[in-house]
Amino acid sequence: MRAGLGAVAVVAAGLAMTGAPARAQAEPAAPEPQIAAALTEDVVEIRSNFSGAELVLYGAAVGLEEGDDIAVVVRGPARDLRVMRRERVLGVWVNADPVRFEEVEGYYAVASTRPLAQFATFSSLRRNRIGMEHVRLSAPESERIETRFGVAGVVVSDIGDAIVDYRAALVRNKAREALYVEAPGGVEILEAGLFRARVVLPPATPTGVYDADVYLFRDGVPIAVRRTSLEVVKGGVERAIYDLAHDRPLAYGLLSVLLAVFAGWLAAFVMRRA
Amino acid sequence: MLIYLPIAEVSLNLFVLLALGLGVGFLSGLFGVGGGFLMTPILMFMGVPPAVAVSTQINQIVASSMSGAIAHFRRRSLDIKMGVILIMGGAAGSVAGVQIFALLQATGQIDLVIALCYVGFLGVIGSLMLVESTRAIVRRSRGAAPPRPARRKRTLIDALPFKTRFAVSGLYMSVIPPLALGFLVGVMAALMGVGGGFIAVPAMIYLLRMPTNVVIGTSLFQILFVTALTTVLHAAQNQTVDIVLAAILIVGGVVGAQFGARYGAKVRAEELRAGLALIVVAVCLKLAWDLTAEPADLFVLIELRGLP
Repeated sequence: MRAGLGAVAVVAAGLAMTGAPARAQAEPAAPEPQIAAALTEDVVEIRSNFSGAELVLYGAAVGLEEGDDIAVVVRGPARDLRVMRRERVLGVWVNADPVRFEEVEGYYAVASTRPLAQFATFSSLRRNRIGMEHVRLSAPESERIETRFGVAGVVVSDIGDAIVDYRAALVRNKAREALYVEAPGGVEILEAGLFRARVVLPPATPTGVYDADVYLFRDGVPIAVRRTSLEVVKGGVERAIYDLAHDRPLAYGLLSVLLAVFAGWLAAFVMRRA
Repeated sequence: MLIYLPIAEVSLNLFVLLALGLGVGFLSGLFGVGGGFLMTPILMFMGVPPAVAVSTQINQIVASSMSGAIAHFRRRSLDIKMGVILIMGGAAGSVAGVQIFALLQATGQIDLVIALCYVGFLGVIGSLMLVESTRAIVRRSRGAAPPRPARRKRTLIDALPFKTRFAVSGLYMSVIPPLALGFLVGVMAALMGVGGGFIAVPAMIYLLRMPTNVVIGTSLFQILFVTALTTVLHAAQNQTVDIVLAAILIVGGVVGAQFGARYGAKVRAEELRAGLALIVVAVCLKLAWDLTAEPADLFVLIELRGLP
């Protein structure tokens, strides 16, 4: 709670500084819309008792008018992943027809003042990749670029319409683990352009750098954007173990075996005494 | 209380894990089996990635086979020469198994192959045990004497070359069958996360015709070295050994095995075998059901962590 109040104070100070010159320059015109934003924490540590985390993004929109809307998008670190279709072969379900998606965001959350379609045009949502149906899902291995009906640069999928099922399946599976979230009404406007959005990180949160983008929408399009970032890292012993396992795998393997051998010996020793 | 497992990258309930370790440890003490064939599928049911479940469970078996092997070492109830030959086969099998594992992981078929291996092995072993123990129980209730063992016949094994003498077992036989058996058990350890005692022990008794008093000790001796090697190989090649999860399972397993062994002394052997057979068949049916039942989602995501 204390961290949250601190963030508001910082944001308010930033607001006063950025707002002042604008007013001095052009007195009659409305100030250039601007956004300031900060997260209650910019480093989230995953420790042994990690079961998810909840952050609050505080912000202030300069020149916020009646009817304007705010959308907050948090995007996690991108990794390649493969989607496979489950198919029945001789009565057994096997994984088949893999499609490799590149640079898929491991976490994707959208919060907004109202449902996205009510205040933003389709094209602006698509261009800025806001909303769960606009997540970047590119499968370059199954795509080629062609000229169709005289239009150059049309992306065509090798597997045709089936790519739609794969994209939907990817988003659905991520949403099931609460890694892809859409929260219409998740941004709360407090007063005088101050706003607040909750960011919930589930237990399966991947580690890496996250970007939180705040968009100010007017007449269907974003008129101001502000990015802040946060990092999710393994902390404490967990980090040491992970680093050892990846940096010195052989030593780690030997250590694991020694631990087990010692435990087994200890058990035999105690057993004989008892 | 949730505990974050740094390599599996999932949070699981610490007490549930400890209870599982205790339960499976109890069964392993009761029946004298490693328990890997139960623990590995359970870990996968709980959401631990298959690769991590297999290699971590193998690490746990190092501990349980160590404490068992020490006891047999003290009593000298093991055939070290036979054990060393089994280990040589097992080392080759383990190396091959880890490579196969990495290949299957890269093609997205690892879950399927592990599940199929389990269904096949558990189905066969479970039904054989069930039939055998039921017969024994029926025979005892009728008061009939156990059937006399059939006279030893010459088999294909006797015709194989590279014969050597196994003084402890009182055998003069080719090294090829133990090498092959060791190899099979090594592959199974790397691929399925089991010690392989449930294959090796019957094979040593019925195929190699080793005396039963040295079979368990020799099997544990072999399992100890092969699982230790497999742990190191999995850690080095796939980085999938979760030392935190392994430690939890070891604690539960070691304590549970003590209770199991004490309780086991009070129960009759036939009933024990029948009970184990029922558990084996139940796990097999559950896995078979998961393979054939319509999945909740017809698509599956496969993280390409550490894969090309």
